[in-house]
Amino acid sequence: MTQKAEKNIIENVPERNHFSFKRYAWAQFKKNKAAFYSFRILIFLVILAVIAPFIATDLPLYCKYKGVSMFPAFSFSNNCEVTNPESGEKENIQYDIAEWKKMDVENIIFAPVPYTPNKTDYDNANYVSPGGKQIFTDKDGNQVDMPSRFRHRLGTNKGGEDVLSGLINGTRVSLTIGILSMSIASALGLLLGAMAGYFGDRKLQTTRGAFWTFIVGTIFAWYYAFYLRSYSIADGFAESSFSMLGQLLLSLFIFSTILYLFYLIGKVVGKLPFLNSNVYIPVDSIISRCIEILISMPLLILIISVAAIAKEKSIINIMVIIGLTGWTPIARLTRAEFLRVSNLEYIHAAKSMGFKEFRIIFKHALPNAIAPALVAIAFGVASAILIESSLSFLGVGVPPSTVTWGSLLNSGREQYSAWWLVIFPGLAIFLTVTIYNLLGEGLRDALDPRLKR
Amino acid sequence: MLRYIVKRILIFIPTLIIITLLGFIISINAPGDPVERMVSSAQSGGELGTQNLSQLQDKLFWRKKLGLDLPVFYFSITSLSRPDTLFKIYDKSEREALDRLISKHGNWREIQHYYHAQNRLYNFLLAFSPDTNLVKAAEFNTVKENINLLKYETLALKSSYDEIVIDAKLKKIKTLLSQYPFLQKFKSEFNESEKAYNEIKASSTSWKNYIPRIAFYKTHNQYHRWLFGDGGHFSRGLLHLDFGTSYITKQPISDVIFTKIGWSLFFAMLSVLLAYLVSIPVGVKAAANRGSRFDRFSSIILFMLYSMPAFWLATLLLMTFANPDVLQWFPASGVKPATGYPEDAGIFEKIRLSLPYLILPAICYTYSSFAFLSRTMRVSMIETVGQDYIRTARAKGLPENKVIWKHAFRNSLLPIITVFANIFPAAIGGSVIIESIFTIPGMGYETFLAIQSNNYPMIIAVFTITGFLTLVGYLVSDILYALVDPRISYK
Repeated sequence: MTQKAEKNIIENVPERNHFSFKRYAWAQFKKNKAAFYSFRILIFLVILAVIAPFIATDLPLYCKYKGVSMFPAFSFSNNCEVTNPESGEKENIQYDIAEWKKMDVENIIFAPVPYTPNKTDYDNANYVSPGGKQIFTDKDGNQVDMPSRFRHRLGTNKGGEDVLSGLINGTRVSLTIGILSMSIASALGLLLGAMAGYFGDRKLQTTRGAFWTFIVGTIFAWYYAFYLRSYSIADGFAESSFSMLGQLLLSLFIFSTILYLFYLIGKVVGKLPFLNSNVYIPVDSIISRCIEILISMPLLILIISVAAIAKEKSIINIMVIIGLTGWTPIARLTRAEFLRVSNLEYIHAAKSMGFKEFRIIFKHALPNAIAPALVAIAFGVASAILIESSLSFLGVGVPPSTVTWGSLLNSGREQYSAWWLVIFPGLAIFLTVTIYNLLGEGLRDALDPRLKR
Repeated sequence: MLRYIVKRILIFIPTLIIITLLGFIISINAPGDPVERMVSSAQSGGELGTQNLSQLQDKLFWRKKLGLDLPVFYFSITSLSRPDTLFKIYDKSEREALDRLISKHGNWREIQHYYHAQNRLYNFLLAFSPDTNLVKAAEFNTVKENINLLKYETLALKSSYDEIVIDAKLKKIKTLLSQYPFLQKFKSEFNESEKAYNEIKASSTSWKNYIPRIAFYKTHNQYHRWLFGDGGHFSRGLLHLDFGTSYITKQPISDVIFTKIGWSLFFAMLSVLLAYLVSIPVGVKAAANRGSRFDRFSSIILFMLYSMPAFWLATLLLMTFANPDVLQWFPASGVKPATGYPEDAGIFEKIRLSLPYLILPAICYTYSSFAFLSRTMRVSMIETVGQDYIRTARAKGLPENKVIWKHAFRNSLLPIITVFANIFPAAIGGSVIIESIFTIPGMGYETFLAIQSNNYPMIIAVFTITGFLTLVGYLVSDILYALVDPRISYK
């Protein structure tokens, strides 16, 4: 036995005996072929979504024109000045309106899909099919057959917009919807579920004075942060989503500052006689009631009507609404897990060592209670994508300028002979939803040791 | 059991109150003024940007009828600078303008003067009609044009709050007034407005905005009226099943719901029935022969159906079976022939005529609950089959058929009951998507139309009823649980 092999064995021995749940779950997950393949497809979709602006754009990736090299797709500026070496004339090329496909260039590399989602190709408007005749106007203005490099591979819609390019852009939209809305939902769901499960009804104790001071403080904080500033926020909404965010953040800052002030006051007030008696805060009851209310509401109608009253249609609104309404399954599962975990010995040990509650919840209990929530999050992403595509299919709440899978599918409803507008976007939605559902099932099987096969 | 039910119903009440509140908040925050739309759609003949007296009276009537002349809620948190009576100003944009002025200057007394001065000017303008004896025929049009312009500018002034905008408007009206001698008589009213505005700026007390205050309105408010009615004048209240008046057709919402609910109820019942009929045998068979070819095959199909978006399937079906270019087996929309049923048609004749219209929507309604039910049935059946008593039953030598259907089946029915709870809300809410694709005249399509035309009383009615029925559904399924499974007892 060589020394190296011996060393290997020595290093591997503790590894072999050491049982890690993460590694076990990962191994289980890999055994589930369908889930594992979905995971790979998901990674591919994420990459596609990230680099979508460089894959589907009518700006060339690289272009050499009259001796000047340009990278229009990657550039932040929108124009480039080119001097003609022979005549000395200056020429200003505006990237977004230049007709790159007809220009006399020395060298040009187009994106794999040389069309931008929202741009109209006038030659190929009115539902040009993928295999049908596509027309291209060349430099001299003659209408010729489309060169195979510039073909609309999945056809066009009524306005002559490229479907493949719209699909690639739609990947970006629906993945963002899934990720953003579920981050909001899981932040809310994990926090509220953990609190409900950990504190229950009779564990969170405070003084009567502190409790009422805090309630009054919430009203004051709301008054100064949101009521007084309501017109500033409304004007911010009207102006741009960026200034809206700024105004909201400012309001939130004021809100939390005032709340903190009242929290400090409450500490003092809680020392006074009568006000110093202890009260329990029924965290579990409050949160469970909230969950009950939310699940008994018709969510789709709620989302649609809230999306309809928003002054400015924006995809971000929809993400936020889905996130704010979709946290209940996560919270329920987390609550149930916390009920189980918070009675285990190691939590009692952590408490007896005097750790703060915050630390016990997030550092000790949460890692052991997060597995079911992960499953709910995976299913939640699937349903968020489904909700968004239904909304854009109905044309509610999504601005018409945003190309999504749902809106593409909807444009196919006007003309059923344009089958490519029905098949491909629908397939994309179906595929993505299936992937997330499979992932959720795989995760559930992998994370639940009771289902060991 | 009875105690449990009573307790559950008591818990319903706060939940229902919050659902109605949420619906109410959404409708209060809806953009646009419903009365403005209702009246202008009725009388679109008037000149642009101006109104006449009869229109104003119409608006007053509708405001009263819809209860918009009341404060919103039992109380409101407001500031020291705001009056309790701001809600009495009917026009939404004028109210917002005044509120913004208050939030800037904080002196309601002066702002009130300004508002009254504006109103006097405007009413004077409305009442004015040029005397045909004094004005020459040639000048008549100029007079009319300028009066209209003046009306328009005054109306715009009433709903502007930005200092620059107000100054510009005031200046514009001033030049208009000085340009034409026949407008001289409005000058004194206008000067009052201008003076009042300068007064506002001069005596600004914006510190009053920073002091919160609670204003109480007792039961004379919109929410209370919406719930309990106003004693039968215009509204009998939600508790007497009066959901208000549609903004579009001006019909009572409850009438609309009664005429539309039939089809949604029909499809909801039909789909649940079909789904149960198909999915229970499929689920049981798959679980009984776990790992068999049937199990694997049906699992894949069911999974795909489960992930299939309803709107895609509907579009695909329409594209294939209701498309003149491919197959035109079924009509594309509606539930009965476009010409209606023949007059002497009996019930069977009607069913025969409607049948082709119903097949595609029924498929779309059914498949998703079918997939969900079969999968649930399979999982719960597999769990039951793994139990000890099933092994005992087999060990006794019972035939497999009897083991499955007599011992295992009943015990795996529990999760299936959960789905039952969703029938009621599905009937009223309908399926917004499927009904709008197939243009079925049911609640879902009606809701979709209401959303598109901002018909909020309709949306809120659907919202509230669905919430209520969901709660009822949960209660029913809980009771069913206890009936099916003697181990469950609610004490």
